[in-house]
Amino acid sequence: MYGKGLRALTLATLVALTATFALVVFWAPNDADQGFIQKIFYVHVPVAIVTLVAYVVGGIFAFKQLRTDDRKWDVRSYVVIHIALIFNVVGLLTGAIWAKASWGHWWVWDEPTLVSFLIVFLLYATYQPLRFSIEDPERQARYASVFAVIAGAFVPLNFMAVRMASSLVHPRTFATAEGGLPGEMMFVFLVSLVAMSLLFWLLVKYEITQKNVTWQIRALRRRLLGDDAVAPIGRSAAPTIAPEAAKPLGQRPRVSYENSPEARSRGPEEIAT
Amino acid sequence: MNPLALLAAAPAVPYEKAGRFVAAAFIVLFACVLIYVAIMATKLQRLERDLSELNRALDEQERAKAAASAADEPPVGAEAS
Repeated sequence: MYGKGLRALTLATLVALTATFALVVFWAPNDADQGFIQKIFYVHVPVAIVTLVAYVVGGIFAFKQLRTDDRKWDVRSYVVIHIALIFNVVGLLTGAIWAKASWGHWWVWDEPTLVSFLIVFLLYATYQPLRFSIEDPERQARYASVFAVIAGAFVPLNFMAVRMASSLVHPRTFATAEGGLPGEMMFVFLVSLVAMSLLFWLLVKYEITQKNVTWQIRALRRRLLGDDAVAPIGRSAAPTIAPEAAKPLGQRPRVSYENSPEARSRGPEEIAT
Repeated sequence: MNPLALLAAAPAVPYEKAGRFVAAAFIVLFACVLIYVAIMATKLQRLERDLSELNRALDEQERAKAAASAADEPPVGAEAS
């Protein structure tokens, strides 16, 4: 059951987000250089970190999909990358707002940190069209997984390359010789990082649960009303979760992905958690 | 040192203007989450509609089955006569 623990996770996310915003506005000290505007840091940086970590996690899930050929890993990889893309957009927009306030420009093209983050976004923006272009679900899962593994490996390499490059205007905050953040700022940052991570995981859980319920209702409709009552899924970027996916490699029917008699007799099957 | 005095000593952006930028950053986050919630709400409505339809179909099937079994049963007292 993917919906299990959803209420507790929602409440924990709500508490963490409320605590973050309260701490940012009322408790975190103003930066000596940037003043109040630096508080964007508590949204922008945790969102960016969660995004990059999520891309790597998506790559790990995709690797598991390739190794086991188990469709549940494809679903997880797809949903994690899907939500990470939304977080990536938030990171880009909050970064642009901060850049405008601090540097007077919405975007600075000669800054490696910004441009590399944009490159990562553009790379993953091709993930959905790639999936959509492949109609066969098995091939779709395999090709998308290969993409996710390669792109997921690119993310930390890209991060390290940018870190080693000499920055022009973008500050380095963590693990620097200058000492990094003061204690109060670091505390608020960590609370914000936890809140953003919880928010990310909550959205992932919501989406996987929704997909699981949708699949189960389709299977139930087929059993009750017959094949004619179920509209074909058609071409989709999202993975279609089929019971056949639970079978080991080589034992799955190649053609009838969702309409096999075997699938009908077995009925809905959840993605194992 | 008083944070406001510190801010007054070295402000990168005037306080009231900075507040607007910070608010904008938070609003972006909330707006994206709200859009996502709205999309999920639409999907949830669709699922609810599908589930109601299935419930209706199941009720009809059960009624038909009950009517068929009632028709198959021999009338009361038929065996005795």
